Amino acid sequence: MEAEDPGLPPKGGMDLPQDGVDLPEQKISPGSMDTGEDEPSVALDEQVELPGAQNNGPLSVAGGKGDVQEELTETREESSEKDLSDSASTDNTLEDSSEFSRPMVMDGGPPGEEEVAVQPRPPTHRDEDVTAESWRAHRKHIFVLSEAGKPIYSRYGNEEALSSTMGVMMALVSFIQSGDNSIRSIYSDDRKLVFVQQGPLVLVSVSSTLQSEQQLRQELLYVYYQIISMLTQASITRIFERKKNYDLRRLLTGSEKILDRLLNLVESDPCFLLGAVRCLPLQPALRDSLGSLLQKAITPNLVFSILVARSQLVTTVQEKTVIDDCRLEPTDLHLLLNLIGATSAFQTGEIWTPICLPRFNPDCYFYAYISYLDADCTVCLILLSTDKESFYSVSDCKKRIEEGMRTQSYLQALSSGLKSPSYSVAMVGAPDLRHFMYKPLDIPDNYRQLPQFTSPELEGPYCSESERHRLFDLYHYLHSRIHSTARPLRLIYHVAEKETLLAWVTSKFELYTCFSPLVTKAGAINVLTKLLRWIKKEEDRLFIRYPPKYSTTPNPGKGSKGPRTEGAENGFFGGL
Amino acid sequence: MKPDGKVVLLGDMNVGKTSLLHRYMERRFQGTVSTVGGAFFLKQWGPHHISLWDTAGREQFHGLGSMYCRGAAAVILTYDVTNLQSIVELEDRFLALTDTANADCIFAVVGNKVDLTDSCALLPEAEDERPSEKPASGCVPTKVKRQVHADDAIALYKKILKYRMLDEKDVPAAEKMCFETSAKTGYMVDHLFETVFDMVVPTILEQKAEGPSQIVDLNNCKTAKNTQRSCCR
Repeated sequence: MEAEDPGLPPKGGMDLPQDGVDLPEQKISPGSMDTGEDEPSVALDEQVELPGAQNNGPLSVAGGKGDVQEELTETREESSEKDLSDSASTDNTLEDSSEFSRPMVMDGGPPGEEEVAVQPRPPTHRDEDVTAESWRAHRKHIFVLSEAGKPIYSRYGNEEALSSTMGVMMALVSFIQSGDNSIRSIYSDDRKLVFVQQGPLVLVSVSSTLQSEQQLRQELLYVYYQIISMLTQASITRIFERKKNYDLRRLLTGSEKILDRLLNLVESDPCFLLGAVRCLPLQPALRDSLGSLLQKAITPNLVFSILVARSQLVTTVQEKTVIDDCRLEPTDLHLLLNLIGATSAFQTGEIWTPICLPRFNPDCYFYAYISYLDADCTVCLILLSTDKESFYSVSDCKKRIEEGMRTQSYLQALSSGLKSPSYSVAMVGAPDLRHFMYKPLDIPDNYRQLPQFTSPELEGPYCSESERHRLFDLYHYLHSRIHSTARPLRLIYHVAEKETLLAWVTSKFELYTCFSPLVTKAGAINVLTKLLRWIKKEEDRLFIRYPPKYSTTPNPGKGSKGPRTEGAENGFFGGL
Repeated sequence: MKPDGKVVLLGDMNVGKTSLLHRYMERRFQGTVSTVGGAFFLKQWGPHHISLWDTAGREQFHGLGSMYCRGAAAVILTYDVTNLQSIVELEDRFLALTDTANADCIFAVVGNKVDLTDSCALLPEAEDERPSEKPASGCVPTKVKRQVHADDAIALYKKILKYRMLDEKDVPAAEKMCFETSAKTGYMVDHLFETVFDMVVPTILEQKAEGPSQIVDLNNCKTAKNTQRSCCR
């Protein structure tokens, strides 16, 4: 610990701790460095013929010739570092191999269609039988695997049981790669398969929804970013540089729920589709007071203060010198909120955890302080610091904020706003209007604001999950037409089976509306006018129009608070 | 305000660290989701404030362990009595994290989830269970085989002493510092925390008597800074 610490650099380059991955120095025999994975001569036939019984570990998609050698070295390495996850999970091998020996993908059919063998249906989705018909029937599968073909995550079913399926996916990826090309998607009659490669990770979506390839790609990126938010891109790259067949699940066990939750959210919360945050409707005066409260409660190295209530943004304050020309990205906030929501342990005590904001900087960690301010755990304060050691001073900021909120009874004011579930579309006063999503593009100071959107509660016919999915499918469809790269549209009037939808994008807003099916075109336009007028009237309440000023935390170099530790101690994976 | 003493819960994931703390602090058992990073709780113990750190057992957060352990007055190493690997991990993975703890750090070895094993007789002792709460469903119908026995914990405790280069005579006896608990029924949970807290108190008093101690980083950096300045001028 050195007293002399440059602290935060005045501008530009943020001095976030670069956390190193300290894998124990392993004697990696030359065999294990075999880059067979990338070998252009990947022959599908050879893989399919590999006897499954020999395939003890998770399948690695490698050129057939390197396989045996690689397996041996792998075993040696695994045992040397007591890799439990690997050894414990070999019991799926049998199932694996039997499935594997099916001559799949050989003659062109999309792989998603092939891995079938009907069996009774299982209870929970993590232990789901991946050979069952019901498994195939899911609307959307998401798979994450490493470049070596090792399974990392599957939305449904045990990823270990899916290692052969993932192997096929990797085979497809590397087969196309061998022709100096990259696979982007496969279309079948009722499914889309979308592939995204990010560094050493391959993400695959198999979807029967109406979403466009672009939207599915975006979702896969969200999954990737969520993984990054827990591990950082730099660590992942480093891990796989050192060891190509590393089992990333070691570092992600326990985090599956976070990814599960993200994927459910992506399908049900328009914030991901619109790339905007939902603000809690609030009197502007109250929002401003809360903002200035956050602005005052600061400590060196505190970069973001975020106040949310039930996953809706109340207000946020950024530190000036650090974030001069940067703003918090909605993606980062969504991922952070998802992480918080997926962890019930958060609801008591004060959490202190490293977290990466992938869009802000994919290679560094912030240290997040998370605490709930009310007994019902609806109002949540998130303080992001760049100093690993600053827990107590950040916790002290929370006490000041809490105190300020108590003396001014802000909390009561906030919670009374929370009692009613957001707002009803009926407030617009247009009976034909069922639902809408409105994203303003003309917010003042837009460049330093989070993109925002508003939408009422889903009511009426959209109470059941299937109806909701149907509506969101339609919204996704409209969104894909509006944002189509080939032929973008500004206005769509879409008569669907059970409702009529209208999407409209101008320089001032992006709007999606859903009407009852009997509305006429003229009627819909009338409602739109009414809706826009209502939003104009309510905009101060619905959106953060004028963001709080930047906070200027005292220069840490001159401050009384302790220095930042650098070097090995910051090693997030120091103990690995 | 800085707490007077620090107690850290360590152990592999899914052994029940958060549940133990939850049982003690909130008097109830609640299924929890895996912890992220670490969670801080403040416990008033007599005139002292004891900070309790519940850490994530996941390997992802492993590197943080030593940070949470810095200056710890006591470390509670937790394992799952139905999972042999969980006690092996304590020695392999978690013991080294305690290097940053105080030199006179107290160690407790705790086997959780005894309610799952055949020791049904343990259950009635959970008297603090309020009747209004949903009744503990008695013995769990499907008994799991116990994989770790009290002897294993005592053996681990002795290994810890060896690792820390402590003499058995100077520290509490192994029998006293090995616990078996059930966060679900509350069995021995209070006993565990109270024993640990009572043992931490003398350390706190000692520290207070000594004045500024090495765990207060603030002082360290002040002195360091002063020397720096005098050097520069």
